[in-house]
Amino acid sequence: MTTPLLKVENLSIEFGPKLRPLRAVDGVSFSIPAGGTVGLVGESGSGKSITSLAVLRLIPEPPGRIVSGRIEFEGKNLLEVPKKQMREIRGRDVAMIFQEPMSSLNPVMTIGDQIAEAIKLHEPLTSGGRRARVIELLQLVGMPDPAQRYGAYPHQFSGGMRQRVMIAMAVACNPKLLIADEPTTALDVTIQAQVLELMKSIRQRLGTAILLISHDLGIIAEVCERVIVMYAGKVLEEGDVRSIFRNPSHPYTQGLLNSIPRLGDDRQRLYQIAGSVPAPGALRQGCPFLARCPKRIDRCGAEMPPMFSFGPSHNAACWVTADVASAPVAGVAA
Amino acid sequence: MTDMVETAIAGPTELPPAEGSRWSALARILFGRPATIVATLIVVVFLLVAIFAPLIAPHDPLAQSALKINQDPSPDNWLGTDQFGRDVLSRLIYGSRNSMIFGLVSPTLAALIGTALGVVAGYFGGWIDRILSRIIDMLLAFPELLLAILIAAVLGGGFWNVVAVITVAFIPGFARVARASTLAVKQEPYVEAAIAVGVRTPVILLRHVIPNIASSVLVLLTLWTASAIRLEASLSFLGIGTQPPNPSWGNIIRDGLNNHFGSPWPIVGAGIAITIVVLAFNLIGDAVRDELDPELSQ
Amino acid sequence: MLRLIANRLIDAIPTIFLVLILVFVSLRILPGDPAQVALGDQATPEQLAVLREQLGLNAPLWQQFFTFVWSVVTLNFGNSLINGTPVNDLLAQNLPYTIELTLVATLIGLVVGVPMGVFAAVNRNRAPDNAARLYSLIGYAVPDFYLGALLLIVFSLNLGWFPINGGGDGFVDGLYHVLLPAITLAALKSAFMGRLTRTALLETLGKDYVRTARAKGASEARVLYRHGLRNALLPLTTGLGLSILATLSGAVAVELVFNRPGIGSLLINAIQQRDYPVIQAGVVVFAFFVVAINLLIDVAYVIIDPRIRVKQ
Repeated sequence: MTTPLLKVENLSIEFGPKLRPLRAVDGVSFSIPAGGTVGLVGESGSGKSITSLAVLRLIPEPPGRIVSGRIEFEGKNLLEVPKKQMREIRGRDVAMIFQEPMSSLNPVMTIGDQIAEAIKLHEPLTSGGRRARVIELLQLVGMPDPAQRYGAYPHQFSGGMRQRVMIAMAVACNPKLLIADEPTTALDVTIQAQVLELMKSIRQRLGTAILLISHDLGIIAEVCERVIVMYAGKVLEEGDVRSIFRNPSHPYTQGLLNSIPRLGDDRQRLYQIAGSVPAPGALRQGCPFLARCPKRIDRCGAEMPPMFSFGPSHNAACWVTADVASAPVAGVAA
Repeated sequence: MTDMVETAIAGPTELPPAEGSRWSALARILFGRPATIVATLIVVVFLLVAIFAPLIAPHDPLAQSALKINQDPSPDNWLGTDQFGRDVLSRLIYGSRNSMIFGLVSPTLAALIGTALGVVAGYFGGWIDRILSRIIDMLLAFPELLLAILIAAVLGGGFWNVVAVITVAFIPGFARVARASTLAVKQEPYVEAAIAVGVRTPVILLRHVIPNIASSVLVLLTLWTASAIRLEASLSFLGIGTQPPNPSWGNIIRDGLNNHFGSPWPIVGAGIAITIVVLAFNLIGDAVRDELDPELSQ
Repeated sequence: MLRLIANRLIDAIPTIFLVLILVFVSLRILPGDPAQVALGDQATPEQLAVLREQLGLNAPLWQQFFTFVWSVVTLNFGNSLINGTPVNDLLAQNLPYTIELTLVATLIGLVVGVPMGVFAAVNRNRAPDNAARLYSLIGYAVPDFYLGALLLIVFSLNLGWFPINGGGDGFVDGLYHVLLPAITLAALKSAFMGRLTRTALLETLGKDYVRTARAKGASEARVLYRHGLRNALLPLTTGLGLSILATLSGAVAVELVFNRPGIGSLLINAIQQRDYPVIQAGVVVFAFFVVAINLLIDVAYVIIDPRIRVKQ
C-alpha cells in the first residue's frame, strides 16, 4: 500500500479548563490517499470542523488543546513540525476554504491582492507574474472578466462568486490537499451545484485531494469517494460512498439516511432521530449515540465498540449491527 | 471617553431583572470584584466627608489669617495653610461638597431631561425627531469641556450656573442613547401589541419604554458621574466654575499654582482627591456596565 | 468620492449656522454692559452712549445678528475692548501655538498609545495587558491640569529642565516650550488610544478573515498588521477624531497652567474680562475647529473603508 497523503491517527482535542475539559474530538482516525476525495459528515457538534482545523494547526491554543494523536502529512507529523515549516505547508501544500465567504475575505483588500498574497507567501514571482497568475486562477474558477475584477472588493460580489475567489486563493499554489469546511452551506442551492462542480473539475485538472466537511450527505455523495461519519467527537462509521449508502451499518448512519425525504416516499411523517446532539462534555464510557439509538443494548453503555468490518473498506463501531460481521478491524483502512 | 463612544452607540439591552434580584444585582455590582469593593468604600467615605463636612473640618475654610501664611503641616493644620492663611485640610474637606454635588446632581438632572427628550424623539418620530436629532448631533460634536466652557462663557461662574452648565453638557449624550433604545423598544412585539390593543401613549411610555431603557441610562449615569466631577474641577480651575473663595478642588489647585513655592499641599491634596474619586466612580461605572450591558464589555 | 466630501461639507453648514445663532444669543444674554466694562467706572453717560453706538448695541437685534454673521464671514472681528488691538491680530498671534500644541500632543499620544494597545492585545490578559490597563485607569482619572501642574513644578520650577512659561520663538525653541504641555495632554490621549487600539485589534483578530490569512501561511506579524490592524483603522480613526477634540479642549487648561499663549488662554482671559469681540471670535474659532475635525474624520473614513467608497 502506498503511503496515504494524510493520515490522522487517534486524534483527541479538548477545550476549556484542564481540570474540567470538554472533549470535542475523541480518538479520531482516518486517512486520505493522494488525489482522493474524502467526506467528513456529521451534525453540528460532531467535531468535524475542529478536526479539519487541527490538520492545519489552526486551533487556538489557549482554549484548545491537542491531547493526543498524530496527523501525518506525507509522512511528517504536522503536530510536531516547527512553526516556520507549518507556515510553509499552509497554503502551499494544504489549503483550506471556509463556510462564510463574506466574513472569510478581508473587506479592505481587493480580491486580486488577496489571491496574490497567497502566491506571494510561497512563490518567488514578480508582481507582474503574480498578477498574471491571479488572472489565470480567476479564469480557472469561472470568474467573468478577470482582469477587470482584480481590483474589486469582496463586498461587490455575490456569495457564489466570493466562494470562487476563496477557491482560487486556495489552489493558487497548487496544493496537494484542499480542505473544504461546509463550503456550500451558506449558498443557494443552484450556486451550491456550481461550486461543487468547480471543486470536482479542479480535482480533475490539478489532481488535488479533497477533504470535504459537511452535514449534508447529498453533497458528500456528489463529490467524495469515501465517507467518514462522525458523532460527538468520535468516528462511528467509515467506508466508500456506495457501500455506505447501500448498506449503512451504524444505527446513526441509518438514521441519517432515513431522515432524507425522498420523492415517492409514502411515509406520513418525516423520520427523525429522537433526541438531540449532546454538547461536548467530559469523556464518556460507552457509545456516544446511546441515548438516541433505537437498537441499543446494555453493552453499549458500558464499553465503546471498536471498529468492526462490514466490507472490504467499510467499518462501523457498533455492538449490535456487528453481530453479522467477521472480525474487528483495528486502525484505519487506507 | 471610550465609554462615551461605546455607550453612545449602545443599542437595546435585556429586560431589567425581576424585583427580588435587583438587590442581588446591586450587591454583585458593588462587591463583585476586589477593585469595586475598594471603589465603593472610597465613594462612601467621600460622600460621608462631604455630608458631614462642618463636623469634620477642623477650621473654617474661608477664615483667613495674615499671621499664618504658608505654614508647614502642624498638629493644628494637618496639611498646613495656604497663601491666605486658610487651613488647607478644611478647604479640601469643604471642597468635596462641591465636587460631589455636581458629580451627582448634574448628571442625574441631565439623565432626566435628556432621557425625556430622547424618548420623545424616538417614540414620536417625525419632525420632532428630525429637529431634536439635529440639535443633539450638533451638540455631541463638541467635546464636553469645550461645550461647558462656551456655556460658562455666557453664564459665568457661581453655583447654580455650574449645575446648569454641567447638566446641559451631558444632556445630548443621554438623549441620544435614550432615543436609540426607544427606537429599538418601539419595534418589540409587545409594544406593538399594546398599541394595537389601544393602550394610551403615556401608559405605554411609562410601563414599557422606560423600564427597558433604564439600564442603558443607568450605565451612562454612573460612568458620567466621574466625568462630571472632572468637568467641575476643570471649570473651577479655569475660573468659570465654583467661584473663590468657595473652595472646590479645581480652584484650590488654581490658587495653589499661584502659590506653589509657598505650599505644595493644596495642589497635591486636591489633585489626589480628584484622581481617587474619579477613579472610584469609573470602576463602579465599569462594574455597572458589565452587569447590565454585558455586550459592551469585552 | 468627491461627491461624498461635498455632501459632508454641505451638511456642516447648518451646524455652523446653529452654532453662530447660539453664540450670538448667549452673548446678548450675558449680564453686564460691554460699554461699561470697556470704559470702566469713570466713564460718563455720554461716553457710554457713544461707545454703545459704536459697538452697534442700539440697533435692533436682527440687524445685530446680520452684522455678526457678516463679520464672521468676512473674518472681521473688530477690536478688543480691553486694549483696542484688532482681534484678528490676537487670533493670528495665538492660533499657531494652540495648533502646535494639539499636533504635538496628538503625535506623542499616537506614538505611545497605539503600540501600547497592540502590545496589550497581543499579550492579552498577561502582564503587559494588565500594566496597560492600569495606565489607562489612572490616565482617565488624573485631571490634565493637575498633571500639568505637577510636571511644571517638578521639571520646570524645581529642576529647571524646561521653560516656565511662554511659547517660544522659532522652531526649536518652540519645541522646547511645547514639550511639557504636550506630554501633559498626551498622557490622557495615549491612555485612550491604547485602550481603543486594544479593543479594536482584539475584535478584528477574532474575525474569520484573520483565520483565512493564517490558513494561507501568513506570519503572525503579517496577520497582525496587514489584516488585524489595517481593519482596526476604522474605529481607530473615529477615536482619533474624538481624541483630537478632547485635546483641543484640554489645551485650554494646559495653556493656563503653563502660561502659554494660545486660543484657550485668550478665550478664558476674555471671558473673565468680558471682552466681547474676543469672546465671540474665540468661540467661533473653536466651533470652526470642531466642525472641521469632524469633517476630516468623515472624509478619512471614506478613504479607509472601501465599502463606503465603492458601491455596487
